[in-house]
Amino acid sequence: MLLIPYIFRRILQLIPTFAFIIIVVFILVRLLPGDPASAILGDRAIDANVDRINHELGLDQPVFVQFLVFVKSIATGNLGNSIVLKIPVVDLIAQRMPVTLMLTLMAAIIALILALPLAFLAALQRDKLADNAIRGVFQVGLSMPVFYLGIILLTVFGAGLGWFPVGGYGEGFLDHVHHLILPALTLALSLAAILMRNLRAAIIGVVGAEYVDFARAKGLRPRLIMIRHVLRNALISTVTLFGLSIGTLLGGAVITETVFAIPGAGRLMIDSIYGRDYPVVQGMTLALAVCVSLTFLLTDIVQAYLDPRVAR
Amino acid sequence: MTLVATAPVAKRRTLIRIPFTLVFGGTIIALSTVVAFFPSLFAPYDPVAMDYNALLQAPTIAHPFGTDSFGRDVLSRVIHAYTVDMQIAVFATLFPFVFGTFIGALVGYAGGWVNALFGRVVDAIITFPFLVLVIAIVAVLGPGLINMYVAVSVVGWVFYARLVATEVQVQKRLDYADSGRAMGYRPLRIIFLHLLPNAITPALVYWMTDMALAILLGSSLGYLGLGAQPPIAEWGVQIADGKNFMNTAWWISVFPGVAIVVTGLGFSLVGDGLAELLRTKK
Amino acid sequence: MKIVTIAAIAAALLLGVSSSAIAVERGGILTYARYADSLFLDPVLNDANVDIWILSNLYDTLLLPTDDGKGVQPGLATDWKVSEDGLTVTLTLRDGIKFSDGSPITGEDVKWSLERAAVPDTTWQFLVASIASIATEGNTVTITLAHPDPAFISALTVFNTAIMPKALFEAEAGASDADKAKAFAEHPVGSGPFMFSSWERGSTMKLLKNPYYWDKGEDGAALPYLDGVTFEVIPDDATRILRLQSGEVDGAELIPYARVDELEASDNLNMEMYPSTRVQYISMNVRQQVNGTDNPLANPKVRQALNYATNKEAIIQIVTHGVGTQLTSFMSTATPMHTGTDPLYPYDIEKAKALMAEAGFPDGFSTSLLVLAGNQDEIGIGTAVQQMWAAIGVKLELQQVDNATRTQQYRDGTMNMRVAAWTDDIADPNEITSYFAYSPTIDALHSGWKNDEADKLYEASQSEIDPAKRAEEYARIQEIFNTEGPTVPLYETPYPVALSKTTMGFNQIPLGNNIFRAAWLDK
Repeated sequence: MLLIPYIFRRILQLIPTFAFIIIVVFILVRLLPGDPASAILGDRAIDANVDRINHELGLDQPVFVQFLVFVKSIATGNLGNSIVLKIPVVDLIAQRMPVTLMLTLMAAIIALILALPLAFLAALQRDKLADNAIRGVFQVGLSMPVFYLGIILLTVFGAGLGWFPVGGYGEGFLDHVHHLILPALTLALSLAAILMRNLRAAIIGVVGAEYVDFARAKGLRPRLIMIRHVLRNALISTVTLFGLSIGTLLGGAVITETVFAIPGAGRLMIDSIYGRDYPVVQGMTLALAVCVSLTFLLTDIVQAYLDPRVAR
Repeated sequence: MTLVATAPVAKRRTLIRIPFTLVFGGTIIALSTVVAFFPSLFAPYDPVAMDYNALLQAPTIAHPFGTDSFGRDVLSRVIHAYTVDMQIAVFATLFPFVFGTFIGALVGYAGGWVNALFGRVVDAIITFPFLVLVIAIVAVLGPGLINMYVAVSVVGWVFYARLVATEVQVQKRLDYADSGRAMGYRPLRIIFLHLLPNAITPALVYWMTDMALAILLGSSLGYLGLGAQPPIAEWGVQIADGKNFMNTAWWISVFPGVAIVVTGLGFSLVGDGLAELLRTKK
Repeated sequence: MKIVTIAAIAAALLLGVSSSAIAVERGGILTYARYADSLFLDPVLNDANVDIWILSNLYDTLLLPTDDGKGVQPGLATDWKVSEDGLTVTLTLRDGIKFSDGSPITGEDVKWSLERAAVPDTTWQFLVASIASIATEGNTVTITLAHPDPAFISALTVFNTAIMPKALFEAEAGASDADKAKAFAEHPVGSGPFMFSSWERGSTMKLLKNPYYWDKGEDGAALPYLDGVTFEVIPDDATRILRLQSGEVDGAELIPYARVDELEASDNLNMEMYPSTRVQYISMNVRQQVNGTDNPLANPKVRQALNYATNKEAIIQIVTHGVGTQLTSFMSTATPMHTGTDPLYPYDIEKAKALMAEAGFPDGFSTSLLVLAGNQDEIGIGTAVQQMWAAIGVKLELQQVDNATRTQQYRDGTMNMRVAAWTDDIADPNEITSYFAYSPTIDALHSGWKNDEADKLYEASQSEIDPAKRAEEYARIQEIFNTEGPTVPLYETPYPVALSKTTMGFNQIPLGNNIFRAAWLDK
């Protein structure tokens, strides 16, 4: 089996990626105008106070010294303290990352549940009523900003029907799931639309390809053809797209998290950027990078399974 | 997976039939483009003129789409927004599509260490938090559409590149690519004349979806204040502006939303139609 | 002691009026939806309203603000006395006061807490900068001031003078005061009506009734009436309102102005508009040169022209949907010693054009305005004045930037104009005047504006113990600033808070503090 060395190799390859990301994000946050003290103090930014805060944070040190401190904090695994919230960054990651991971996972599952069967239905009923209806509904879903869709879902299924809580995260695993269903659906809808459209086109393409005709000519049963040939080939680009989208979902759930009042990583990230909370932005970027890379690895493995030639 | 075809050739029809979806979608896009170039011909009012005596008015004959919280005519703003949003749809996605497809085709064909290196670049770019990037670019260059294009392009091309690379990798193992090599064609010719037409469908379909997504991203960035700057009329920002009025003045956000749906639908249909055209051409 | 009695009567009246109709009920947890979470629960080292506005529920002060936010009433101290020369303040501590862990509050705690508040270079130190020394003996606290300080009694109601348990604080891990504060703020102990219970960052903070709180309710038993208060963080305005409407929370702060009318009409909600010290304005950079080019805004006539060209009534309609009122001075009407009865610079486009011509800009000029990214109010103001000023030839470019970028730009003096808002932290005009008009503090809102007379008057007012004379000084400062200052005053607004019909006795004072001590749920 080629798969195991392949996975091993891929994991090794992640190290330079992480190093690159760490350096870029370190530089980028420091390129942003303003500093933590100005972000915190605003109108009350009197020079003496700003200097005091910068000194406390070690921001009056040369940049390379700050970088060494950062690298050391990674090596020791504590990632430093949040400037704004005054607590260790690892604690923040431990609180926030699982929330966003769960939200993304649920969104991914919902998107797949919606997209896969409907794409098949649409492709097989091409240009008929079912196809047009499915494409139309997804087009509307795709065209709705998440904050708008989110409020509509909350109004109807939360405040109106009372099936789901109106925002928040709840306590305990099942309660979390209950709270996350609407936000996950909100996130899932545009992803489902992307996947559905891609898969539908792919299936139509594959069904028309000669090797399927050939298989049919060979007398293979239609269902077998569907599974063995059509699905496998059609899924390749869909899996690629899925992996890429999960990457952006993980870091981009900010607005969904804001609308649904979910204490997730996306919201912390944007608050930290606005607050110039360098250690949190750096630490969260690293944590997100790990999660996204693992997702990529997973999609690559699935692809290698669908088409072993990709792994070579 | 040995059921591999010989070089694809047109077989069922010799005459290429233009798919209906392409005609329909193309019409929507053509009309939208006309409006985008000459919005003043269609808009009844100045899109930035405020009427303090007509704030938040429901649709009437004088204002078919009502007025917004500044007393501006929503219809005129939706019409003028065509200029901006068609621009966003094209400029935010054109570079990623062209550049991404080009890189993807080369990488997919080369394979080996090129592909591995490319994988790392993709990892790094996708893994990097998009919003950090947007905010950084906006903070350094100032907010506005151009900077939004820059930010979107830096990340967006990766999607196309990866989609195309994966497909090319599959296509190049097929017999027709081998026969191209056997006939002594240069790699570039094989890539762009033989492999790409077969490998481009997912990227093309995604491109058309991406255009609607780009307009929507404008809306998300508008929610965060990083998109089109006031007083420019832009659908996404209009929807963000109408958020507080969903119960009391729905028309502020619903009409721009409809415009996004219709335009997005136009692009989607064109995408589907082009995919179909490419298939029949084979 | 005249002030004391007046304040006490005022407080009694206010309390009586607000809750005489129905008998209070005890018990229950009140859930309150906030737009953002707190950051750092240390009374001295915090920097943000999200902390300041809830701190008094956890940490008690020697004196308390009255419900109208303008006066002073007894707190941990039962009475207070200022000497004739204004240099000595004597307070008497209440008998038997305890922290929420049951340990007694000693004179040493008071001395230590006030000394900590007076350490230089912290954000709020200016409020108690006049402290020279503190002595305690039994129940008597004697504070000696370096100079007479007319605002000192008010300062003793402000969050940074809260009394903290010295022994518990010093027992925290950490080498410096800042490190100890970080540790202590994770599980703070004070003597406010509530005590800290738990905190899920970015989501919920739970407070429970402090069993040792000193004050009594109208039923004669100890306050607070509630068993606890839970804060939920719901940043999105629409969601916050929806959650209130669905009954999942009992109150929600910062209702967008656009929705005030709608909620006022709602049957199961009370839309409250608490008087506030919040003022909204545009501030300008008035230095002779900005980024190496001559600055039209340096000319007072240009600033006056912009003021006359701004239709404030229209902005109040567009942005606040009629909730705001025009400013009559740079400080709010809820700020003590505010003067002025007529709106500043009534809209007059002809006068504006004439002033522009006089100033040498008959055809206007181009400039830019910073607005806070994503802030609907500021974007609304920017969009409106962009249109209004076009009428006098001013081409205004709007730039949406985040808070840190904006702060950087005005600290560097590179911005042209910005939209801004201000809320007082002390029931005294000294804070806002220091930041707005007294150039040594922050160059008058970082504008570069400087007026020698205003500076002198402010310095004099800081140690003027004759209230009438001090009021005169502030009246003159306001006159100067309002005619040639570096701002376009826009409007003042109350705090819009929506409460369920069952939520009673809650108050938000003009300084912003959320007061839950006498809140109760009608079950």
